[in-house]
Amino acid sequence: MNMIEKILAKASGKKEVKPGDVVVANVDTLLLHDLSGYITANVFENEVKKDMRYPERVAMVFDHHFSPPTQQRAEVLERNREFARKYNVNLFDCGSGNIHNVGVRKGFVRPGTIVAGSDSHTPVHGTMGCFATGLGNNSNAATVMAYGKAWFMVPKTIKIELTGRTKPGVTPRDVALWLTGQIGEGGAVYRAIHFTGSFMKELDVWDRWLFPLITIDVGGKCGFIDPDEKTIEFIKQYTDQPFEVFTSDPDCEYEKVLHFDISNLEPQVAASPTLGNVKPAAGFAGNPIQWAELGGHGGGRLEDFRQAAQILKGHKLAPGVKFNAVPSSRETFDMCLKEGIVEIFHQAGASWFPASTGSNQAINMGAMSKNEAMISTHARNFPGRNGSPEAIMYLSSAYTAAASAVKGCVADPREFLEVL
Amino acid sequence: MEAKGRCWKFGDNIPTDQIVKADRVLLSIDEMAKHVLENLNPDFPKNVKKGDILVAGKHFGQSSGRAVAPKAIKATGVGAVIVEYASRLFYRNAYEIGLPLLECEGITKGVNDGDILYVNMEEGLVKNETTGQEFHARPIDPFLMRMLEAGGLIAFGPEIDE
Repeated sequence: MNMIEKILAKASGKKEVKPGDVVVANVDTLLLHDLSGYITANVFENEVKKDMRYPERVAMVFDHHFSPPTQQRAEVLERNREFARKYNVNLFDCGSGNIHNVGVRKGFVRPGTIVAGSDSHTPVHGTMGCFATGLGNNSNAATVMAYGKAWFMVPKTIKIELTGRTKPGVTPRDVALWLTGQIGEGGAVYRAIHFTGSFMKELDVWDRWLFPLITIDVGGKCGFIDPDEKTIEFIKQYTDQPFEVFTSDPDCEYEKVLHFDISNLEPQVAASPTLGNVKPAAGFAGNPIQWAELGGHGGGRLEDFRQAAQILKGHKLAPGVKFNAVPSSRETFDMCLKEGIVEIFHQAGASWFPASTGSNQAINMGAMSKNEAMISTHARNFPGRNGSPEAIMYLSSAYTAAASAVKGCVADPREFLEVL
Repeated sequence: MEAKGRCWKFGDNIPTDQIVKADRVLLSIDEMAKHVLENLNPDFPKNVKKGDILVAGKHFGQSSGRAVAPKAIKATGVGAVIVEYASRLFYRNAYEIGLPLLECEGITKGVNDGDILYVNMEEGLVKNETTGQEFHARPIDPFLMRMLEAGGLIAFGPEIDE
């Protein structure tokens, strides 16, 4: 069996599971954000009408709002707080950071466990050796509250082996964007993706994070990386709770195996309308942008701010460009303060926003008119997600986002990095 | 479980963002239903009738896993949704909220907007009554069929708890 099959078997009290089996498994962590938390709370109280059996497993993170823009939104958050108090579930209020980063940093994600969440990017926690998947934001999350369990169909698994080393100026996020195009939207529907290879092995954990993150947008159920010493050391920073490490058997079966050498990759950009619309940055070079942002699911990491700071140092944003800096957690902002990154961004003309999920779906910020375009480290670029369906979202590395902000148009960052 | 009605045909890769926009997710389901897919076909939410069949292409319901997306479609009275294939979360959420959903390869080539379709869920049969052509969908797992017949996951909850 592979790692997730072993986890699903254990959590459902079985010796073995195989692709296609439907199992009912114990869920160790349920992650909710402010919107899904609200919907789930209502379904739990008005429709499920059972006791909250495992409140300690539930974490609600207010990440789509850092400050309610309307009275209605204030009431949504208030309702969530009341729900959390009433049932004694864990609450991380406005300004805590992105749901997934907070989930890890507060110890809710441990190898060998099942992490379920209302957010579709929940598979990102496969980075930590979990079976992690999204359940949607309604009845399923609410029944997990009542029963501590959920049903899962065991998926077939695709193995992706990445080898080689990236060229200077090319980041793990460029590799992940490119890989999304290679697998294709719908290229892994209902599949698990096992990310392996020397390239993955050499990455630090927050960079590995960018790979299981793409799973949902190629249609997958979960992505995972077998935990190693790096993973274990990383997780132990955030939790004292014991955990069991599962790894894939060397002879486990895959539906298919894809191998990619990423040594010759250029910086990549994925433009609306889809993630599959990915090309080398040069292919979009010169297209005007009015907004740049480091933030969102998978963005706003310390690694992103460090990259962008290399380019912003000593530069100013192009006229008419606004740059949103949105840390994924308070700890990330703290590090940006200590490393002088806050100052560099500010002097360049960028604006700092509270730790949150940033412009994701334009709930608290980031709406665009039909004439505007943004380049960001966000996870998605679908039309209508950030204001006008005609607005364009370019997804890129933090290097490329910063270089584009300085030039006022999509740009290959390497001209700023003196590596050409 | 059967449905029969007019075919409303949509394209490939439709995200939940287009089914129910994020700024509407806190409204009532009936309010959402009045705007379902309006950006792609403004006539759909206005004129859809009980029992009508929604047909769409590949990776239907991708993007954020909003259970309100299938809920809002169900609230329009749509009797069944037939797609080339659905996003995983849309598939899961549809069964969990009791919206009949079939994945049927080739369906978008075999039906036109406005055709009359008949659907039998247990048999996975889709019949285009306008042309007489029949299609066979991917079979539904018995666990999911039981959940659908129970009306969704909440009614089915005690079975999960056993």
